[in-house]
Amino acid sequence: MATNIAVENVRKVYQTGKDEVEAVSNVSFTAEEGEFVAILGPSGCGKSTLLMMCAGLETITSGRIIMDGQPVTEPRAHVGIMFQDSTLLPWKTVMENILFPVKVQKRPMAEHKERARELIHMVGLSGFEEKKPHQLSGGMRQRVAICRALVTDPDILLMDEPFSALDAMTRDEMNDALLDIWDRYRKTGLFVTHSIREAVYLADRVLVMTRRPATVVEDLRIPFGRPRDRSIGEKAEFNEICAYLRNLIEKREDSPRRQARAA
Amino acid sequence: MRPGDGLGPKAAGAMAAIWRRIALFQRVLLPLAVAVVFILIWEYGTKLAKVSPLLFAPPSAVWKSLELSFPILVQQSLPTLKETLLGFALASLLGVTLGTALVLSKRVRQALYPHILLFQLIPKVALAPLFIVWLGIGPTSRLSFAVFMAFFPVVIATMTGLLSADRNIVRLCTSLTATPWQTFMSVRVPYAMPHLFAGLKIAVTMAIIGVIVGEFVTAQEGLGYIIMFASSADDTALVFAAIGMLCAVGLTLYGAVALVEMLIQRRLGVTITSSEF
Amino acid sequence: MSTLPQDRREHILTLALPVLLGVAVLGVWQVVTQAFSISPVLLPAPSDIVSSFDDIAGTLARNAWVTGSEALVAFFLSAILGVVAALVLTSSAVVFQAFYPHVVMFQIIPKIALAPLFVFWLGFDSPSRLSYSIFISFFPVALATMTGLNRADANALRLSRALTASRWQILFQVQVPYALPYFFSGLKIAATMSVIGIVVGEFISSKRGLGHYILYSQSHSETAHIFAAMVVLCIVGLIPYGIAIGGERLARKWWRG
Repeated sequence: MATNIAVENVRKVYQTGKDEVEAVSNVSFTAEEGEFVAILGPSGCGKSTLLMMCAGLETITSGRIIMDGQPVTEPRAHVGIMFQDSTLLPWKTVMENILFPVKVQKRPMAEHKERARELIHMVGLSGFEEKKPHQLSGGMRQRVAICRALVTDPDILLMDEPFSALDAMTRDEMNDALLDIWDRYRKTGLFVTHSIREAVYLADRVLVMTRRPATVVEDLRIPFGRPRDRSIGEKAEFNEICAYLRNLIEKREDSPRRQARAA
Repeated sequence: MRPGDGLGPKAAGAMAAIWRRIALFQRVLLPLAVAVVFILIWEYGTKLAKVSPLLFAPPSAVWKSLELSFPILVQQSLPTLKETLLGFALASLLGVTLGTALVLSKRVRQALYPHILLFQLIPKVALAPLFIVWLGIGPTSRLSFAVFMAFFPVVIATMTGLLSADRNIVRLCTSLTATPWQTFMSVRVPYAMPHLFAGLKIAVTMAIIGVIVGEFVTAQEGLGYIIMFASSADDTALVFAAIGMLCAVGLTLYGAVALVEMLIQRRLGVTITSSEF
Repeated sequence: MSTLPQDRREHILTLALPVLLGVAVLGVWQVVTQAFSISPVLLPAPSDIVSSFDDIAGTLARNAWVTGSEALVAFFLSAILGVVAALVLTSSAVVFQAFYPHVVMFQIIPKIALAPLFVFWLGFDSPSRLSYSIFISFFPVALATMTGLNRADANALRLSRALTASRWQILFQVQVPYALPYFFSGLKIAATMSVIGIVVGEFISSKRGLGHYILYSQSHSETAHIFAAMVVLCIVGLIPYGIAIGGERLARKWWRG
């Protein structure tokens, strides 16, 4: 299988005034075609910065990122992206928002309209094509964002904590919706999250990142196959994996819980 | 995309530092460069195109006129400055008072506010001759007209500002059994500051407009009068010099209001942003 | 819409109170001028003003047309020029940084004082008044639009960059819609400034128009005519403002769907 994403010794340093902040410190990993890789870590560990570098939205201080054989230096048209904020343009309808990449990248409108309709149906938003963002709930807006990310049929999907701003129940719904999509369209995906359960539920592999230094400390393969059983969350094995990851993160961090236990 | 791509970490760091320095200067240098280029084009363009210095005086002629007529200009800017300052002060005082009164009584607000809005929207400038009918030709009519022009924005701004306090915080005050005065002073007033200062900036501009239009119509004294006089005497150098003087006055007054706003913002310890226009 | 008796009463009061106040003021005004035999040159009674409408209807209409048409032309031209300038000056970050402080400064300085200069350059008639009015109305639109273009939602801009949108695509497809509310607030200011510009221009350089007529009435001690002309001028002045508000409503509808 062709390697779709290769991150090689990537480092990111920010200059704020006289200080240097190392946001990402020597990260290397690869993501195979069709793999869903979760990047898990606490806030401040550089996971979002890493994703922004893959998206070409941030410069790489040293090292390189190769996507589809080409080093990443700027944003690319064949990459779908989702942010924590659904970022729908408020004056456009759902349909127009989904077709925004098509318009910007000057692709043929007719065939993409068809695809957009399919995607709308898949995420359960049929009938909402002409609504405006302010008429939708947070979960619905992220569903529109998913459709928009997929409308140009990209090979790679980059997702930066897309469900973090949603309430717990909507978040679970969205996780299932994402699994549906992965069953239907097998893409290569990088998914940033700070939720351990979400990472294990969705991913084929989980990369654990810690801060100080901001680097990958574990590359864990998730043993559940695809299509993924929606009830794995209740299985013992699932909870063991989550406990293992939690331990890993806490051991590296000086979390309050850890300190309380030590005391 | 940015300098430092593909270099080693140390070199990239040094380059980024230089880039930031440049970016800081850019904010100041670029507008300055535009101003300098403009003045150069003005000076040499008019000479090249053989434009008559009476029609469009070059900066050198304007400077000469400024030096020559400086005493007259200063003398004539005094009435303008005095009337603007006094007009602005009175308008602000009266405006804040009425604005506060409108907040205190809902019925009075309902009755009076639409009329105040109406007065704000109509071309009040056209009433300058009316003030002459009432108060004759002189500083009194100009001053009252300036107050009239500057008063309404202050009322509206004060009222809007005082009413803009976060409802939840006001509710919190009530539940803490704070007196209306305490709520007013510690919550409504700070929230009103950005709106108030936006209104005061408009009021300063309006006061100047009032005084200048008054000077046009009374044709007695002041920088507006000099501008009119110099235009009819075909002396654009003096016109520009007087305009320059007036701009200095206008910018100083506006700057003073902006300065007070910044000081109060510092005192309150919050960055409350007011609109820029 | 609620039909509780208290809410209904509130609605009626919101409409009735200002009207009642206006009527009361007019009533007091009428009574006072008559009871104290105040000279009509100093303060004409409302009845005098109303009757003068009859006398000078033709004159008022003629002058209203002159002032109104010039104000509208100035308004439209200043709006178009303001938007074009804003687009040009926002097209590049360098250009924006270079010119924005100047636009702000031009907005603050008392441009009103430049009226005699325009008269000097362009003569004692329409072109000077029009250019002057456009000059003072242009800056609010340009400044407001520039500010608005610069305040587009940062997330939307980031998304557009991620989708490889070009500079111009981002400007017209993302920044312009976000700039609309700002544009309209600048347009409303331009609506009032365009009228002010024409009136001040008429004060110093005209033989026609409502501004000139008011000055003429003052010198002939016809104070009632001043008030009558002012009423007509208010109506005329509200036309560009109404257009601005109408445009804003349409834009809001497009936005909200």
